[in-house]
Amino acid sequence: MPDVKLEGLRKSYGDIKAADGLDLEVKDGEYLCVLGPTGAGKTTLLRMISGLLAPDEGKILFDGKECTDLEVEERKAALLSQTYALFPQLTVEENIMFGLDIRGADEKIKEQVLISMLDLVRLSGRSDAYPRELSGGMQQRTALARALASGADLLLLDEPLRALDARLRISLRTELRSLVKTLKMTAIHVTHDQDEALVMADRVAVIREGRILQIGTPKEVWDRPATPFVANFVGQSNFFTGEVLQSSPYTLIRTPEGTVLKGRPSELRPGSTAVLGVKIGNTDISKERKGYLKAKVERIIFEGRNLHVDLMTDNGQRLSSKVPSWRKGKIAPGDLVDIYWEESKGTVFPMPPNGLENELKVE
Amino acid sequence: MVEVRLVGLGKRYGPVTAVDKVDLTVADGEYVTILGPSGCGKTTLIRMIAGIIEPSEGKVYIDGNDMTGVPVEDRDIGYVFQNIALFPHLTVQDNVSYGPRAKDLPPEDQSRISRRFLEMVKLLDKMGMLPDELCGGEQQKVSLARALSSGSKLLLLDEPLSALDSRVRVDLRYELRRLAKELGLTTIHVTHDQEEAQSVSDRIVLMRAGTVVETGTPEELYTRPKKIFTANFIGETNLLEGWVLEIKDGISVIELRNGGRVKVNQTDHPVGDAVVISVRPEFVFPADEGMRAKVTAITYMGTYWRITANTEDEEEVDFDSATLDENLLTIEKEVYLAVNPKAAVLYPRPEDGVQEAIKLE
Amino acid sequence: MDSLITVISRKRFRTGWTAFIILFFLFFVILPTVYILSYALTDWGSIEKFVLNDPAMLDLIIDSIIASFEIAGIVTVIDILVGLPMAWMMVRKEFRGKALLDTLIDMPLAVPTAALGFSSAIFFAVTPESLAAPSFALNAVSSPFLLIVLLHVVFSYPYMVRSLSAILVQIDQTYETAGRTLGASALSAARTITLPLFRAGLVTGIILCFARSLSETGGTMIALATMANPGSFATGPTLIGDWKDNLEINPDLAAPLAFVSILLILLSLVLLVVIKLVIMKVHLPMGRIWPRPERLFSRGWFPKTKDGLAVFFLVVFVLIPSFFIFTYVVSVEPSSFDWGPFAESLMFSFLVAGVVTVIDIALGVPLALYIAKNRTGKLPEVLDVLVNVPLIVPTAALGYSLGVFWTGQNLIPTYDVLLIILAHVAFTYPLVVRNVAGAVEEVDPAYEETARTLGAKPVQAFRRVLYPMIKSSILAGAIMAFTRSLGETGATQAVVASAQTAPVYIVKLIKQTVPDYYTAGLACIVLIMVSFAFMLALRYITNRRSR
Repeated sequence: MPDVKLEGLRKSYGDIKAADGLDLEVKDGEYLCVLGPTGAGKTTLLRMISGLLAPDEGKILFDGKECTDLEVEERKAALLSQTYALFPQLTVEENIMFGLDIRGADEKIKEQVLISMLDLVRLSGRSDAYPRELSGGMQQRTALARALASGADLLLLDEPLRALDARLRISLRTELRSLVKTLKMTAIHVTHDQDEALVMADRVAVIREGRILQIGTPKEVWDRPATPFVANFVGQSNFFTGEVLQSSPYTLIRTPEGTVLKGRPSELRPGSTAVLGVKIGNTDISKERKGYLKAKVERIIFEGRNLHVDLMTDNGQRLSSKVPSWRKGKIAPGDLVDIYWEESKGTVFPMPPNGLENELKVE
Repeated sequence: MVEVRLVGLGKRYGPVTAVDKVDLTVADGEYVTILGPSGCGKTTLIRMIAGIIEPSEGKVYIDGNDMTGVPVEDRDIGYVFQNIALFPHLTVQDNVSYGPRAKDLPPEDQSRISRRFLEMVKLLDKMGMLPDELCGGEQQKVSLARALSSGSKLLLLDEPLSALDSRVRVDLRYELRRLAKELGLTTIHVTHDQEEAQSVSDRIVLMRAGTVVETGTPEELYTRPKKIFTANFIGETNLLEGWVLEIKDGISVIELRNGGRVKVNQTDHPVGDAVVISVRPEFVFPADEGMRAKVTAITYMGTYWRITANTEDEEEVDFDSATLDENLLTIEKEVYLAVNPKAAVLYPRPEDGVQEAIKLE
Repeated sequence: MDSLITVISRKRFRTGWTAFIILFFLFFVILPTVYILSYALTDWGSIEKFVLNDPAMLDLIIDSIIASFEIAGIVTVIDILVGLPMAWMMVRKEFRGKALLDTLIDMPLAVPTAALGFSSAIFFAVTPESLAAPSFALNAVSSPFLLIVLLHVVFSYPYMVRSLSAILVQIDQTYETAGRTLGASALSAARTITLPLFRAGLVTGIILCFARSLSETGGTMIALATMANPGSFATGPTLIGDWKDNLEINPDLAAPLAFVSILLILLSLVLLVVIKLVIMKVHLPMGRIWPRPERLFSRGWFPKTKDGLAVFFLVVFVLIPSFFIFTYVVSVEPSSFDWGPFAESLMFSFLVAGVVTVIDIALGVPLALYIAKNRTGKLPEVLDVLVNVPLIVPTAALGYSLGVFWTGQNLIPTYDVLLIILAHVAFTYPLVVRNVAGAVEEVDPAYEETARTLGAKPVQAFRRVLYPMIKSSILAGAIMAFTRSLGETGATQAVVASAQTAPVYIVKLIKQTVPDYYTAGLACIVLIMVSFAFMLALRYITNRRSR
């Protein structure tokens, strides 16, 4: 039942700032995904919330009560680690019962919880198995049941799907989310996979170098990225730099080549240098319609529901576009196409202080 | 000209068959992906091609030559490892020049070759660093340059992107294909990631439990998969059970278990047969008639909405919509769903049930 | 029960307990071990008078110390040359009889060095008539120096092979495979990729081997006493043993004893630091690859011959000398003997070893946990280095130092048994700490952390999660400590001259004016059997763990 509040959390390892003033509020019953590249400080954040790591500065509040110095075992925040950490010497049943055993729960209650948990994670037939005898997916479900059965209110998930095969990962996303929702738990789920975050989260917090760049619903993060990094990390973008001509009712920027491009309204000063980002999925190509600029189709890759089209503009800029697969056969490598997007799909940012290339680094 | 041909290639560990008599030919310059879930034997297969594992039966031919008994170092291959395996005590350049060094080429050549391939992966500026000082994606690029520097025309990639962050993985997979094609390499790439396989391959070999399920171009396997397992493994799909009600004008009408009726442009299953329809979410749409279902979840996918609906017998159907009209589609709302008859594929209903046929582990 | 867990989970209790363990380690293990160094400051006058101004004494000391270090150096080189191919074969190759070979390599570890010294000397050395060595004994070595080298190879070889293979196993074989996919032959890849990654392993092996050779006392004494005409040859530790025996009659020996101990302690510590630095820093000229010859040596007859020679060496220079004692006892004319004193000494040895093991476990496991779990801290790092000191210091010097320390203070009563136990704790304690700390480090901390987020207090997390995972390592450490204590001669003699543990008893049987070879032989066999039983237990436990 808890809501979680972090206030100005800081943690440094030497010169590296793993948490650089993190403020975050997670609502009761919310499923929050913390999304970021390796080394962004995601795991540090999770460990500080669980109490396994003490912050250098800042406060952690559960339900409005400060618990920055509370012992790990008293926080009722169960951690599900990447490797699951199922106790190898215990069976599935003993693993699931670990939390209740420790608290010395009543035998009757234990039995009830066990039956409902096994049923919930579909492992009723395997309660006597040892973790090593289970497949990856089953191990993951056992670890989840163990966390749920411990009586925790808050679930901390550290890349819970990373160790699984790609296809299995996709199947388990919705399953994991609905389990957590059924039990009305608050969940903080750390991942580097933007698809996973989009599909699973109520809200997504994008984090990089120990700082939260943006927090919002998947739609907000996708449609209105706060920085070029977010625009590129969540779903790949094409970028153009240029001079701002006007900023409302829509933004116009002029590239060094003189092409004028359109984006959502912004608060940028006319005359300043800006970056326009458009998701490759929103970058459309056409042979009929007139667009902002022209490019040659370099290659077309069939990716199932979409085609991935690589393009090269006259001035040598590489762009990409994702279009529905049914358009295969209507475009071919070598074609000259027009590129356009709806103005609401273009987001304009001030030029990042360290340059665009550094801003976009995903590692 | 590097062609790879596998004839009845198999590997057994005691009673366990890891790879069961695989036949496969990879043409010169072709990019082939061996795709499958964990434990399907794909890694064993590529290791047998490289000579790291001895096959129990069958033969590997590279360039027409029987490789039986030829040790790894004489097979003239480039190999990229899943765990990257850069030599930790050598600099980036020394790693890349190891191949030329192993052939005892003069130092000038070693340096020239390593620079050439480092430039190709755009890491010339990191030449003097140790592998530890690079991030994951850069390490794997160095490892690719190292594999290429041996000058081989056969590139073997053993889950080359698995250890990387998903965003890095996406960038690197396009890079991999570009390099392989530019250099005219014959490439065999092992992966469990169907998206990766679709993006890089000329042809995908889908494996399960030591055997090849199906082989085809990414497009063939996505649009007309021959097996239910393929339909489910490559891309997402709805699998709906039913039976053939009638066949008329080249169209089969299928009555589904969930009560709805859908039309499919495929007539090779006689009336009365139990069938399974595979139809991808982008080919299911709300209509005036069809399957009745109640919307249970709406997820924003960036360029489209993924809507999940439950039919009356609790079957889940996913469908996509480019826009979301909140008057028509909200949670708990009842909709009728139809399928695009051209895009649906029919299979005979599997004896052990659909779940068994698509099981991943 | 619950309230107990609550109490010992309190932070204050945990801090106090950790402090106690660290103090124990510093005050009962480290300080007594090196205490004798202070003698150089407080009693420099006696050292000058009895050692530096007595050329004959000084020569004797210098000669024996040089001999000790020469022997250790030669033995280490031989061990590397013959141990590396064996370790390689055991780790990287699959062949029939591997399990058997594995057991054979370990077997000499089960034989206490006193018994080993007697057995090897009968096999290798020119022995006196009265011994009546079997006619098929080698009966060839007449140089005491050479005999001691051979003996030390016999007992240090298994340590070298073990420590080399332990590190080799950890080097990812993918590196070598990667080298081979790039066209390097097996030998080239091993030489240019695996060997450079292997330095740390070499250092551990070398230090362990060097220290064991430098420290060895009982076997060396027996071997010298068994051979005909050993002359006045002595090593550092045998000098300590001999002099301590005579200290009561001749108190002037106190200064030379202290001097030898100081030299051994200082030199061993300095030299080992030097070894470490040299090996880690020196650049091996490994750049070039010669494809043709190396390819030739990678296949066919060469690897087979190399492996064959490794096995041959094991059999002829390690196994036969180790167990030759059996043929001797069978072939020699039986004589009457008195079991009583030996049985008594054996009981005494068991008592000591048992108590020592209990102390080691009770106070060593907590220190191991502290070191393994706080790797990043300064203090644990220092402790981790200090733990190795008693392993490196020759046990005779350690024993003498410890004896002087405790008899010089009036803090505890100085019963012989107590002193011997303390001495044995000093050099076996690190074995337990290192073994358990290594095991703890291998366990993913996520297990205990997860347990805590599930509501377990630190003590509960240890007992329910970590303890079951490291149980077998604790047991293995216990058995190691027990057998080391059972076989120790040098420290025992150096701490209490009149001690009567089983190995010391055997030494005395042979060193007395009329040696009782037959009884000594039988006693050795009994000792071997007992140790062997423990060895088997150890193997059983560790094998079960690796499964």
